[in-house]
Amino acid sequence: MSENSKVWPTGLTVGEAEELHRYLISGTRTFGFIAACAHFLAYTLTPWLK
Amino acid sequence: MNPLTSKIIHGWASLGPKFLPFADAATPEMPLSRLLRLSLFQVSVGMAMVLLIGTLNRVMIVELAVPASLVAIMLSLPLVFAPFRALIGFRSDTHRSFLGWRRVPFMWQGTLIQFGGLAIMPFALLVLAGEGEALDAPRWIGLAGAGLAFLMVGAGLHTVQTVGLALATDLAPPEAQPKIVGLMYVMLLVGMIVSAVVFGALLSDFTPGKLIQVIQASAVVTLVLNVIALWKQEARNPARTAFHLPQPSFRESWGSFIEGDQALRRLMALGLGTAAFSMQDVLLEPYGGQILGLTVSATTTLTASLALGGLIGFSYASRVLSRGVDPFRMASFGVGFGVPGFALVILAAPLHMPLLFGLGVLLIGFGGGLFSHGTLTATMNLAPRDQVGLALGAWGAVQATAAGVAMALGGVIRDVVTGWAGPKGTGALLGYASVYVIEIALLLAALLVMMPLLRRRGATAQVV
Repeated sequence: MSENSKVWPTGLTVGEAEELHRYLISGTRTFGFIAACAHFLAYTLTPWLK
Repeated sequence: MNPLTSKIIHGWASLGPKFLPFADAATPEMPLSRLLRLSLFQVSVGMAMVLLIGTLNRVMIVELAVPASLVAIMLSLPLVFAPFRALIGFRSDTHRSFLGWRRVPFMWQGTLIQFGGLAIMPFALLVLAGEGEALDAPRWIGLAGAGLAFLMVGAGLHTVQTVGLALATDLAPPEAQPKIVGLMYVMLLVGMIVSAVVFGALLSDFTPGKLIQVIQASAVVTLVLNVIALWKQEARNPARTAFHLPQPSFRESWGSFIEGDQALRRLMALGLGTAAFSMQDVLLEPYGGQILGLTVSATTTLTASLALGGLIGFSYASRVLSRGVDPFRMASFGVGFGVPGFALVILAAPLHMPLLFGLGVLLIGFGGGLFSHGTLTATMNLAPRDQVGLALGAWGAVQATAAGVAMALGGVIRDVVTGWAGPKGTGALLGYASVYVIEIALLLAALLVMMPLLRRRGATAQVV
């Protein structure tokens, strides 16, 4: 499988697919970080299960 | 192959691209509907700006009783990122990608960061104010949370606006640029006005729960608007973002940019003019109330007339600049309207004529509109094709920094002069008047800096 060949089933090349995957990973990390911050602050404001 | 199968296969193949976020090809003609859609990112930027400068400024001081100095520090945090706009623009110009995108990744990441900042902001503010159980929490949690929230909103806002304007410049043919600049400014203003009204109405009877709902709703609206704005706008061009292309350093790139076509002089004129047109921003309403004795509703119409002047300025400038008038000539006209505007505002107090004040404010709005439009159009026109992001980043860095610093300085100068002259009698008037006089001086300095830009253009026009 060469670098520029399109790969089944998406029609992306390997490089394109890996780049898209990087965006997915970085987006997930950012969302995770935001969610962690929001939960920590919300817990400080109104602790649940207490 | 039977007709049904061929139909299904054809339908399936044409279905694919419809749901993909890139444009099919770079079309020479940009339809207006697509431009309108792209300009939606300015609505989200305007919304965040109103939230920072207007709504939260008041809510934190009045409803949440946070000390005013702490509020001022927190609200100025987004300004920290303004100078980095040039770097963001440069990075997007030289982005290396297999997918062939240069603007979309940055706009998406900026959107995500702005969303994140707005998502954690209400909790951070309530913790900072010691609401609920947060009264016993350590102080640093509220400070760090609010600081992080404001920094994230600032970083996202500046990234989205810089890269969005660069994308608009990429897409538009040069002769359409004045119209696009006008559209971008009008959408920014629309976003600011609509969100100010909506925030005001929603927060009129304030509860902590409502604050959370309103700010988090604005986070979601930001995400939705920006995704709609950038969907299918940028065509993929892997040849332009190939990894083997030479990658200049920021220093080299900036060096070649600043050498070209009087770039430094243009940025200086932009900085001086922007500072002159924004120093009075937070002082007009208290001036009307304190010095001229206007009611609250009367001073609110002032803000409206400032915005109205701006709108008239943008639409006039769009029309005239589309006919090929030199944008710097337009910017200098704007400065020309600003000087009498500020003079009228000063004169209104000794003459006791509030109408003069209103007229002055309208002139300032109109002049500011012409000036902003002219300088941004000139930046787009003169941007080297491979440095569009850097050129618009530099424009945004100077513009945002000058506006922010001038706004802060305006308040400080008024307080210092009033304190020195005594709060009674003419002391208060002197405080405001000194700011307006400084603004006139800054406008004249901007005009002086712009002169060579004008004459040179006139000379080349005669030669041709």
